[in-house]
Amino acid sequence: MDEPRDDIDTWLEERVTPLQPHPGTFEQIRRRARRRKATRAALTAAGVVVVLAGVIAVPRLILNGPVGSSPVASSGTATPVQAASTGPGKLTGTGTPRPTDQSAIPTPTAPPAVPPNFAASSVTFVSTSTGWVIGQAGTPGHCGPPKAYDCTSVAATNDGGSTWHGVPAPVTGAPNGGTGVGQIRSLDGVSAWAFGPQLYATHDGGQHWARIPTHGMRVTGLETVQGIVYAVWATCAGAGADFAAGCTTFSLYSSPAGHDDWSPVPGATGLQASGGAAGSAQLVLTGSTGYLMTPGGQLFSGPVTSPAGWRTVTKAGVAAPLPCAPGSSETGGHPLQAMLASTGSGLALLCAGPASGNQQAKTLYYSADGGRSWSPAGSAPARGVAMSLSGTPTGPLLVATSSGISFSTNAPGASGALAWRTARGATAPGGYSYVGMTTSDQGVAVPADVGQDAVWFTYDGGAHWRESPVR
Amino acid sequence: MGEFRTSDRLAAEELFHACYPRLAGWVRRLVDDDDTAHEIASEAFTRLLARWSSLDNPQSYLYMIATNLIRDHWRKVGRERRALRAVSAAMPAESVYHPSQDVDVRALIQGLPDRLRQPFLLHYYAGFPIKDVAEMLGRPEGTVKADLHHARARLRAVLGEAHG
Repeated sequence: MDEPRDDIDTWLEERVTPLQPHPGTFEQIRRRARRRKATRAALTAAGVVVVLAGVIAVPRLILNGPVGSSPVASSGTATPVQAASTGPGKLTGTGTPRPTDQSAIPTPTAPPAVPPNFAASSVTFVSTSTGWVIGQAGTPGHCGPPKAYDCTSVAATNDGGSTWHGVPAPVTGAPNGGTGVGQIRSLDGVSAWAFGPQLYATHDGGQHWARIPTHGMRVTGLETVQGIVYAVWATCAGAGADFAAGCTTFSLYSSPAGHDDWSPVPGATGLQASGGAAGSAQLVLTGSTGYLMTPGGQLFSGPVTSPAGWRTVTKAGVAAPLPCAPGSSETGGHPLQAMLASTGSGLALLCAGPASGNQQAKTLYYSADGGRSWSPAGSAPARGVAMSLSGTPTGPLLVATSSGISFSTNAPGASGALAWRTARGATAPGGYSYVGMTTSDQGVAVPADVGQDAVWFTYDGGAHWRESPVR
Repeated sequence: MGEFRTSDRLAAEELFHACYPRLAGWVRRLVDDDDTAHEIASEAFTRLLARWSSLDNPQSYLYMIATNLIRDHWRKVGRERRALRAVSAAMPAESVYHPSQDVDVRALIQGLPDRLRQPFLLHYYAGFPIKDVAEMLGRPEGTVKADLHHARARLRAVLGEAHG
């Protein structure tokens, strides 16, 4: 600091006294770190380090709703209501919040409350205890200032969903054509990204969000692991909440996770579905390998830490086709006809047939060689329209549908066809748009009807689910 | 996955012995409790070691994590305090005055907004140069300097009131 030293410096420095560790502390820390690394590796192997959710984004009409869209007060006394009405911390053009009133020191209080009527659309967990959820809160049209419909809100938990508190959010609205965000991912609780269709990044635990220019393209998918973040940028024509509809051209971009330096992944730009039809793409990252399911029904894959090393997956020198192509996307940008997941030591693919009422054929395939070849793995229950597929580190699969959640009692690959059961407690009306497992036992699901104002957790591998209201 | 390579382990152990006492002491000043300070310092080192291979600047990471854990601790304490008050209306509000101090440092720092508190803790308490703090927080150096200036101004004002 350039300014002269004064009594504050003296005051601060006079009480510095090192605190020596207890004997054995380092060994204890090392063992804990090793366990966490193992857990994270298993978790990423299942492709669920970050948990996503589809956006079913019909704005809700809520009475007397204070706001959610403005960044929740980051400290001090301001409640979300106050933050909204006075506008402290609003993002400027560079995404840096303006300092709040400098004349008064806020009284220390509990963490900011979750804005009321929190309609969760996406959730991300970086450990079994710490996760963030993004959604819309308050009353659309009354969420500013400065702009109406700035209702995007973020809440966090540090106790596995038992309690939630408010976190500053990007100042934007729900997905609406080319604007807004509805999904969230975090690498480590410090760096995180809100996206779909716009892209925002934070590198200070959500205190400040900066908008990342995407040159007119819409971000339909994003995953992060091992200090790097990948995102699918697409050229789309969809309007309103269907921002990922009518997407015809897809490109894979990457950036170091610690700062915003996005560039296209060589060989993964301008990807199109057959005949230039509208399509979708899906990104899956394991701890070591990344996979992009292209709109043309192929896999593009490479080491997660080396974007330049990604290549089309081939067999006998030609591109290896997937058993099914992703087809169009649902509201949140996820493919509806093909869903890819990492599970155990391989990849699982769900090929969804045409829906007939509330029935749909769901055929599973498994690949143990990185997508070069695929074997049938039976079918998931026909009841419900498939919305999301998740793997687990130990192999079993979960499928979220419009009717609930099903889980397999065995892993694909070794034991022939998968055996399925219906999860108990997954009773959200309209089913679930997303399911993802943080570990083999713990997972989270987001209801298709975001008006539930809740997410659901399992702690026994998907057999039983429990509602966690976000408030 | 898992076990450290020998070279990594030695480097981690060296960093632990070099940094833990200062980090724990730094935390203790802010949480006012030895056990909590050990808990936070240990947790920060655990997270550091769990991500050892992917970090460019382990010490920065260590202090950033510790800063966040301290913030979480303050929030938890605040919640508990409020809950206690809710069930015991007769209970007097906790004093911010500590006999050993002219002013409760923790309460003052805690009262700073996050965007001022983070650079303040990292620069004045953890001793990182402004350039490093700017890099850790992803803000321009000028912004960090301005934030520190604002933080000092606020503290100075409160100190003035306390002494006045």
